[in-house]
Amino acid sequence: MSVEAQQGIASKRIPAGLGGLLPALTLIGLFFVVPVLALLLRSVTDPAPGLQNYAALLGDGTYARVFFNTFLVAAVVTIVTVLVAFPVAWMLAIMPPALASVLFGIIILSMWTNLLTRTYAWMVLLQRTGVINRALMGAGIIDQPLPLINNLTGVTIGMVYIMLPFMILPLVGTLRAIDPMTLRAAALCGASPLAAFRRILLPLSLPGIAAGGLMVFVMSLGYFVTPALLGGTSNMMLAEMIAQMIQSLLNWGLGSAAAFILLVVTMALYALQIRLVGARRAAGGA
Amino acid sequence: MTEPFLSIRKLRKAFGAFTAVHDVTLDIPKGEFLTFLGPSGSGKSTTLYAIAGFQDPTSGDVLLQGKSLLSVPSHKRNIGMVFQRYTLFPHLSVAENVAFPLRVRRRPDAEVKRKVADMLALVRLESFAERLPGALSGGQQQRVALARALAYDPPILLMDEPLSALDKKLREEIQTEIRRIHRETGVTILYVTHDQEEALHLSDRIALFRDGRIEQIGTGEDLYLRPATDFVAGFIGNSNFLAAEHLETVNGAATVRLGDGSLISGINANGSFQRGQKARLMIRPEAFRLDQGSTGAELAVEIVDVAFYGERRRIVARTGAGQEIDIRPTSATLATQDVETRHRPVFFDPGAAFLFPA
Repeated sequence: MSVEAQQGIASKRIPAGLGGLLPALTLIGLFFVVPVLALLLRSVTDPAPGLQNYAALLGDGTYARVFFNTFLVAAVVTIVTVLVAFPVAWMLAIMPPALASVLFGIIILSMWTNLLTRTYAWMVLLQRTGVINRALMGAGIIDQPLPLINNLTGVTIGMVYIMLPFMILPLVGTLRAIDPMTLRAAALCGASPLAAFRRILLPLSLPGIAAGGLMVFVMSLGYFVTPALLGGTSNMMLAEMIAQMIQSLLNWGLGSAAAFILLVVTMALYALQIRLVGARRAAGGA
Repeated sequence: MTEPFLSIRKLRKAFGAFTAVHDVTLDIPKGEFLTFLGPSGSGKSTTLYAIAGFQDPTSGDVLLQGKSLLSVPSHKRNIGMVFQRYTLFPHLSVAENVAFPLRVRRRPDAEVKRKVADMLALVRLESFAERLPGALSGGQQQRVALARALAYDPPILLMDEPLSALDKKLREEIQTEIRRIHRETGVTILYVTHDQEEALHLSDRIALFRDGRIEQIGTGEDLYLRPATDFVAGFIGNSNFLAAEHLETVNGAATVRLGDGSLISGINANGSFQRGQKARLMIRPEAFRLDQGSTGAELAVEIVDVAFYGERRRIVARTGAGQEIDIRPTSATLATQDVETRHRPVFFDPGAAFLFPA
């Protein structure tokens, strides 16, 4: 086929394809690209043109603390989620399929339950006079109520609970691809259960942990409801700070700059995830 | 009496109401290649898994050099095993797979290196040391699995249908490798298969399993030439079973009447028979003679079909009683005119025929 003919086909196809894509592109442009550009514009023009909003955010110790706290919470939530999700995912991966699908249903159902409802439920459970503290005191295990709410503990518990399905689902996929016979083989080779986990199961499940972990981390960075309800004022997260800047302080420029920084970090991490998942797929296909 | 090397004592495994293994008792001397042969669900794999420690038997014991293995967890049994499916660790190179059992035993690096080189040489895969298992063919993967299972010099090597996923040509090739490796290492091998040819090719002895029991144990020749039951005769090699009526047995040599009324004497009787009892007469297809001057017992047949298979012919014939039989004479001893007559007698040595209860 000649070059001209190829170009002919290509030039005929692209406008036709674009025509079909136009409504979707308009939608994305109008409701995503334009607002983000407006946000960016606002962050460098409000109250006066320049980068002073970014300078204020990155130079001020208070804001730096919020950034640090956001990353700390996201990291703690991700680590705890991995630790809790792994045994659940392994159980789901090796149990009989019928039973596993029932448990999957329960997990998915919890995802569909309203986020606020679930977070308020945790408030009821975790507060000073909540079910958990009363049960522990009633059993004589503690004398004083544990500080479970309005601090990092509360945020971590509440967010881990919400993030679990996002970790379990990719992890189950990875774990299901591991033949349980491989672990029997490891045992007969002389590997104790711990050695088999460390040398075989963990390395083989790393792609799933990475995919789920990155997803949880990225989602946690921008989380608002749970930190706002279960967290304390001393460990505010970025999303809360943005809400405060815009709603209480009416400082749109500063809020926009903070939101834009969050967006850039999130996008960077998302790009990293795509690279990792893409690399895994490529390795699996070879 | 000296202790047997490996001893299985009244091993029993029940899954709820179903008993997979019924009181299997077996002694295995050091260095033996013993095959558990049998159809699927006959209890051969369950027995092997009990030795490996993957399944706790309901009762009975497994003793290695007089010591019970049952309370020892899998990872401390020091047993090598090659599985039906490929179980190499996909994230480790071939060399690291073979090194794995040595690394978890914390052997010094120099020893690991030397042993891995030895093992890869044993299975002739030296040049594949740095590859990942995914880049190997099925046959190569099973050879690596064999090297991994032998790397720590286990006293026993278990093999659970290791060749069932491979095609026939590759299977035969690796069977030869396994024989060589058994010869070179002297390891005691317990091998599970449902393929009788594989069992005959590889084993010193074969234990034929049926419904959770050992039907017969012996050399391949024992099972083939002196089957204890009609199940053994039917499972090992090809067999014709003719309906017969038992007349009398003198010193283990039976006389029977076949469906067409003819009498045949001098048959090996397995068990005791009543006069007039219905029985089955087993004759191997290759035991029949058609050539000129054949002697022995005579059976009148009608030749239905003759096919040429190179070293043998396969003849389908019908007896006077209307039963179809399979005859496989060697081509070298058979001239074309021998099979041209449609109605003719075929001959067999009654000493190589067996009588079983119907």
